[in-house]
This record gives sequence, C-alpha cells and structure tokens, in this order.
Amino acid sequence: MTAPATVAANGTPGWLMRSEVGLCPCGCIGRRRKGGFVEKTLTGATTLMSQAIFADDIATQPGLLQSIDPRVKVLTMLALLIVAAFVRNAAVLGGLYVGTLALAARSALSVGFFVRRVWLFIPLFTGIVVLPATFSFVTPGHVVVPLGSWFGSNVGLTEQGLVAALLIVARVAVSISLVVLLTLTTPWNRLLGALRSLGIPRMFILVLGMAYRYLFYLLQTVTDMYTARRARSVNRDRDVRSGRAFVASTAGALFGKSYAMSDEVHQAMVARGYRGDVRSSTPPRLRPTDGLWVFGCAVVAVLTLGVDHVLGA
Amino acid sequence: MHIPDGYLSPQSCAVLGTAMVPAWYVAGRRVKRVVTTRFVPLLAIGAAYCFLVMMFNVPIPDGTTAHAVGGVLVAVLLGPWAAVIAVTTALAIQAFFFGDGGVLAFGANAFNMALVMPMVGYAVYRAVAGRVALTAPRRAVAAGLGGYVGLNAAALLAAIEFGLQPTLFHSANGTPLYAPYHLSQTIPTMMLAHLVVAGVVEFVLTAGVISYLQRADVSLLRINHASLAEAGVAPGPRLGWRWAAIGLGVMTVLAPLGLVAPGRAFGEDAPHDLDLRKYHLDTVPSGLRHYAGFWHNTLFDGYDFANDKHPTVGYLLSAGTGIVAIAVVVLAGLALVRAFRRVRRHSARRIGGVVV
Repeated sequence: MTAPATVAANGTPGWLMRSEVGLCPCGCIGRRRKGGFVEKTLTGATTLMSQAIFADDIATQPGLLQSIDPRVKVLTMLALLIVAAFVRNAAVLGGLYVGTLALAARSALSVGFFVRRVWLFIPLFTGIVVLPATFSFVTPGHVVVPLGSWFGSNVGLTEQGLVAALLIVARVAVSISLVVLLTLTTPWNRLLGALRSLGIPRMFILVLGMAYRYLFYLLQTVTDMYTARRARSVNRDRDVRSGRAFVASTAGALFGKSYAMSDEVHQAMVARGYRGDVRSSTPPRLRPTDGLWVFGCAVVAVLTLGVDHVLGA
Repeated sequence: MHIPDGYLSPQSCAVLGTAMVPAWYVAGRRVKRVVTTRFVPLLAIGAAYCFLVMMFNVPIPDGTTAHAVGGVLVAVLLGPWAAVIAVTTALAIQAFFFGDGGVLAFGANAFNMALVMPMVGYAVYRAVAGRVALTAPRRAVAAGLGGYVGLNAAALLAAIEFGLQPTLFHSANGTPLYAPYHLSQTIPTMMLAHLVVAGVVEFVLTAGVISYLQRADVSLLRINHASLAEAGVAPGPRLGWRWAAIGLGVMTVLAPLGLVAPGRAFGEDAPHDLDLRKYHLDTVPSGLRHYAGFWHNTLFDGYDFANDKHPTVGYLLSAGTGIVAIAVVVLAGLALVRAFRRVRRHSARRIGGVVV
C-alpha cells in the first residue's frame, strides 16, 4: 500500500517537498556510500525542479509584489539593480538589503526561506572568493590587522581590502535578493509576457518559453535513463571510465531524443496552424497601485543615490 | 564562469551587452533563413539541452565545481549561430529563474559563453576536422579540441573582464569598487582551473557525444554537415581558417591589455629594477648581473621599440611578429613531416609493402 499523496496548503504535493531521509554519513547506520557526481547532479536537478514548482505556488499567493504588473516589476527591479551597482558605500547597501527583506515579508514569502535562498548559495561562495582580497598582497593599503612581516614589510588585512570585500558581498546579496524577489513573485508565463511587451523579439520569447517547458521534460528523461541503468546494474559501478562513457552516451542519446521530439513538436505546431508568426494576448492595463509602486521605487532610488553621494565611498 | 551581479561595474555590463545586440540580431536572421518555421522547437530544445549539460557538475580540487557549457557541441550539431541563440536562452533561464549568473551581467555572460565560445570552438573544429568523413575519429577529436579551446577562450575573457575592474573602478584611497583582483591574479587563477579541469570536462563531453552519435545515429550529425558524405572526402567551404585568423587578430589587438596590468611578473625584473632592500641585499648578486645582459640582440627588447615611446604600438607589432614567427616554425614543421611521409611512401611502394 502506498501512502496517499498529501497535498500541502500551497498546492504542491507534500511528497515532492519532503527531504529524503539519508543514511548517516559517518557510517554508524549501514555502509557508507559515496554517491558519484552523476547521482549528485540528478539529485540537484530534482531539487531544482521542486524549487521551480514551489516558486510557482508563491507567485499565485496574495501579496504586495504579486499585485504589481509584471512589466512594471521588471523595469523597476532593473532600475534598482542599476542603483545598487552604482552605490559605493557598504552601509547604504545594507539599508537596501533590509528593504528587500521587508518586501519579501510583505509578499507572502517567509523571511527565513528568503534569506536562506539568497545566502546559502552565491554570497557565501562570493565571501570565500573575496577573502584573499583582504590581504595586503592583493589589495595594498593601510594595514589594520597586522599578521607579521614578510621581507621587512608589514603584511596583514588592509582597510581597503576589507572594505572592498564587504562592498562586494553586500552588493551581490542585494542584487540576488532583487532578482529572487522578482522571479519568486511572478509566474513564468507572465514574466515572459512582460519581457515581450518590453520589446524583446517574439521569437526569442517563444524559444525561451518552450525551452523552459521542455527543460523539465528532458530532465525527466535523463532521470529515467539513469534509473534504468541503475536497475540494470547488479553491483555498484566503480569503473570511472564506464561512468564517463555513460555520461557522454546519455548526452548523445538525449540529443537524439530531443531532436526527434523537436520534429514532433514542430509537426504538432504546424497541424494547429503555426505558419511562422506568433500572436500573443494583449497585456492588461496598468492600475493605480502600479503607479504608486513606481513612485515608491523612484523615491528609494533617489534617496539611495543621494545618501551614497553624501556619505562617499 | 557565470558572473554574478556586483562583480562587474554597470559600465562594463553596458558595453558587453551592447556588443551582443548585433550578434543576437545576426543569429536570429541566419538561423531563420536556414531552417524556417522548424527552428523554433529545434532551438528551444537545443537550449533546454544546453541547460542540462551545464548542470553536470564535476568536482574540482579547490572545493568548487566545474561544468561543461556544451556551446561548441551545439555549434557542431546545429551550427554556430544556432548555438548563439541556444546558449543565450539557457543563460537567460539560469539568470532569471535559478539565480545563476547576474541579470545586469547577462550581456557579459552571453558575450563570453554564447558568442565567443561557440565561434572560437567551431573555428577550431572546422580547422582540425577539415573534410574528413563524418564517421572519422578525427572529427570527434576535433570537436573535443574545439570545446577545449572555446571554453578556455571564454574563461580568458571572463578573467580579463574581472581583472580590469580594480584598475578602472576604485575609490580615492585605492579601495576596489567591484571585483578586487587584478589581471595578474585573475588570469592565472581562471586559466589554471579551466586549462586543467573544466576544459578537459568539455573535451571529454564534446568528443564523447560526437563519437557516440557516429556509432549510434549518424543522421543527427548530418543536420549541420549536409554536404559531407558519410565516408570519403567531400568538398566543402573552408571557413575554419578564416575564423581562426579572426580569432588571432582579436588576440593581437587585445595584446596591449598587458600594459594595464599593474605589477610585474615575478622574477622578470631587470637587475637594476630590483628592490634590493626588500631582500636584505646590498648589491645585485654577481651571477645575476653577469648573465642578465647575455642576450640583448632581440628585435623588440621588452616588447617595445623606439625606447618605449609608443608602448601600445610596440605591443601590437610584437604580437604580430610573434604570430608570424610561430607560423613560420609551424609551416616548416609541417613541410618536414610531409617530406618525411613522401620518402616513406616511396620506399614502401618500392618494397611492395603496406603503409600503416
């Protein structure tokens, strides 16, 4: 008997969101098994898929950002990204980051989830990348944390290096928060519609939309191929060469399948009347809330740049 | 190699984004002319395919992971312009939906991975593969080499984009405003990882897929090689060398970038430029002084002429001369190999044996 699939309040089936119970990596339960990179990639892919579905759930919930027209949202977020890129003061960037947290809270996003989504991946990685830049070897300047001397000159963490590292991490965090806010609160098809009405050629939008749709189909195909291989292997496959050959063959077979499918999709499109031109539905009219939002963003942008100018780098 | 927002100044992003607009326009026109209505589903699925290839992360020793881009693979299978659109679309999905690569930096990422990589890689592929049969092993190796060179060209561009930031954009007291590393640090770091690991991954994947298709389904290789027979030699336009020449030309023009790099390469200073006090020395070591002036008859000593009055011109001339010198050596080597082969063939024919 299988347990009935529980459907969470937000519409995503619970079993898809549940994390798998893994064996203890220290080896106290069962035998320790190191997954190969193919397996890890597929696990990552499945996580990505569940994230995307989860994002579509958030985008349909009531909230502040969800109520703004996607076109307006794309333009204002782009403007705020440019503002954040021009800011030279870390404190001002900190202020902007607090602003994105407030926006997330008003848009039916749990702040914990939002912070984790932004900080877990890129800014932490960024922090590791910029760490060496704080030393006097890379960024020469006023040494504030001396770490000894090297051939007669003082080495250590420099003020310039520390400020530069802080600036980069803060700017990356603000930029990613803004993009995550935009994509989490806008359904994918409406985001594409917004890009279309902002002047991106129709063909690109059509290709983008179809690519996104078939991405999940191909992902499913790869997972199936991998499961089939595992079902056919008796023992664990330790041979690196055969693993490599499997990845290359999978990619090749996948290309064959994709090509065959693109042929079928094309025939289906022609059968439904596709003659090379694309029609899209007319976008809805803008509402007063959109105007208010634009005004608010403009005030924030002017204030940010003004304060940044006064405080200096 | 996906540059996030915050690493590049908005000015750099604007320049690279503007450079991509004509490329996208040309790609759209070229692809549409070749495959008409069929191209939309083909490109969409090509893009999804690229996205999946980029997901296959291989761990590398420094704690991060490297992945193949697959841009050259798509260029070999569907043509280089189709690859421009496919990789661009994959990058757009990554930037907008999965936060991989910045939105402002989208133009820069597209320039590196969607334009330069397929074009350079495809040129190498055409040059190496020549007009051999579709099923020849040399074709798979050529595709792999194309992937290797293309990925490294993209990585080099990313390193240059990063490395120019602290020189061009810093505050009054020297605090870098964007990416903090100089060219002398970014180029070795990026190139080491890509030459040693990521490039190899790209090589194995590209060559592996092509050789799989040669075994399993040659018809898929014929999409972009319509005029090429399955076996034997078929005539075809030799675009490869032209693109290789363009690539070399671009590198030549970029050569003066070395002048912007602050600091000097370690261990390359002339003896009188050494900071002796830094090494607790009173005089230049005698051996160093003696041998430093051993060879001074070079044409452009220190990549300049006219006593360094025109450093940029000197760099350009040096780059050009270097290419000609290398070309002469390569051509001489090729001529030697050919002559040697002819001698062997003659002697084999005389004995009546088979040349292996």
